[in-house]
Amino acid sequence: MKFIKNHLMFILPLMAILLGIEFYLVFDRTTDSYEKKLKEGYTMLVVTKKPVTLSQLKALNGHIASLQPIKRAPIVSEVAKGVGAESKKEILAALPYFYNVGLDSYLDTQVLDRIKQDLTKEHTIKRVETFGSSYSSAYRLFSLIKFLLKVFIGFMGIVSLLLIIKQMEIWKYAHKERMQVMEIFGAPLMLRSGVLFKIAIIDAFIATLLTSGVFFYVKYIWAPKSGIDLMVQKQDALFRTADMGVLIGAALLLVIIAVYAVVVSSKGVRE
Amino acid sequence: MSNVISAQNLTLAYDNGRKEIIQNASFNIRKGDFVFITGPSGSGKSTLLKALYGQLRPKSGDLVVGGVDLTRVRPKKLQELRTHLGIIFQDYKLINEWTVAKNVVLPLMIAGYSLDVQQTQAHRLLKHVKLSEHADKYPLELSGGEQQRVGVARALSKNPVVILADEPTGNLDDYSSNVIWDLMENACQQLETTVLVVTHKIPTIFSLPYRHFIIESKGVYEVH
Repeated sequence: MKFIKNHLMFILPLMAILLGIEFYLVFDRTTDSYEKKLKEGYTMLVVTKKPVTLSQLKALNGHIASLQPIKRAPIVSEVAKGVGAESKKEILAALPYFYNVGLDSYLDTQVLDRIKQDLTKEHTIKRVETFGSSYSSAYRLFSLIKFLLKVFIGFMGIVSLLLIIKQMEIWKYAHKERMQVMEIFGAPLMLRSGVLFKIAIIDAFIATLLTSGVFFYVKYIWAPKSGIDLMVQKQDALFRTADMGVLIGAALLLVIIAVYAVVVSSKGVRE
Repeated sequence: MSNVISAQNLTLAYDNGRKEIIQNASFNIRKGDFVFITGPSGSGKSTLLKALYGQLRPKSGDLVVGGVDLTRVRPKKLQELRTHLGIIFQDYKLINEWTVAKNVVLPLMIAGYSLDVQQTQAHRLLKHVKLSEHADKYPLELSGGEQQRVGVARALSKNPVVILADEPTGNLDDYSSNVIWDLMENACQQLETTVLVVTHKIPTIFSLPYRHFIIESKGVYEVH
């Protein structure tokens, strides 16, 4: 019982750190395209009296990168249902020109306002709609979630690390005497701390397997049934075999550092 | 005969050299010598022993054990020297989670001997200290006297150049003490091992010729 407890006290915090790392990897992958879409999918609407070209708009503001005319005929058919063909022609002639204008990068709302000002200086441009608030709030919300996730993972990592250190102190106490006796008889570092390394490495493998198991479950069992579009579409990104390499690497690095710290601190000090 | 231990103007101190325990001690111990070091409590007997197995670095002077200068020894060299020493402690310092047999062969394990050799030696040594039937037991299952015999067997397992014993019979009754003295006398007589024992009291029944040093007023003096 004590043996299991000792192992769990080490495996659980290690698992918490590994879950944090894997969760971050998965979150990054699954939201990567969403983030790109938020950045690249944004366009502003420009309404002009006469047709304009991309170079004309670029001359007004350097951030403008693309220009996509919106077909006017479907707009007329939509707004003038049940109207005669002649009247439709008249409406079409009177209708301004609509364009989706793309920008060269993700910009904040202040720059968007400046672009709007630059464009409206041109008398052929009747109206510019930046959709600034929805654009900004969606991206900010996304960034906030990502930031909070990082903070949470970081916090969880610190707490887990403290628990690992605590457990290391227990190990240190439990193995101190044996290691000191072995040192007195001339045992090299690796021999006297071999047991600790062995236990820690086994625990690192167990923690990695358990963490991988959790994500395998999420990927193959939970995600398909979740009904969350993002999870279903991005099922492949939920866990990859290469992630096991990252997890085992991180786990081994952590335990080796932890055990080494114990071994060095229990070294019989030469007074 | 050549000196196995040599101290010249040796000063030992704690607290970064502020608290001197032994001052300017000089003595030589030859191969095959049986040496008792006595002195009142707190006089520095155990401190001297610590210095001899490299746990305490001398403040000044020279201290050479088995040809290794302990005043400026490197960790690797110290590690090597310790594999040639047999050390016996008053509190036995056995590894309680290991069996008696495994404790006995610790020095062989450190030296990298095969499991077969370790097993053969464990059997031989435990027979020598009359503990064969306890090979698979754990130290805490044994009496104090038996634990100390395991300690002696461990110290003898690799035919050490020097046996350093710190109050080896301090916690034992007369019978157990006599057994321990016999074992150490045999090691000295048969293997020509140098034995240095720190003790409060020299045993009354002791057949071997021995040398006696006393630590008093921070000095080490030979009295016998």
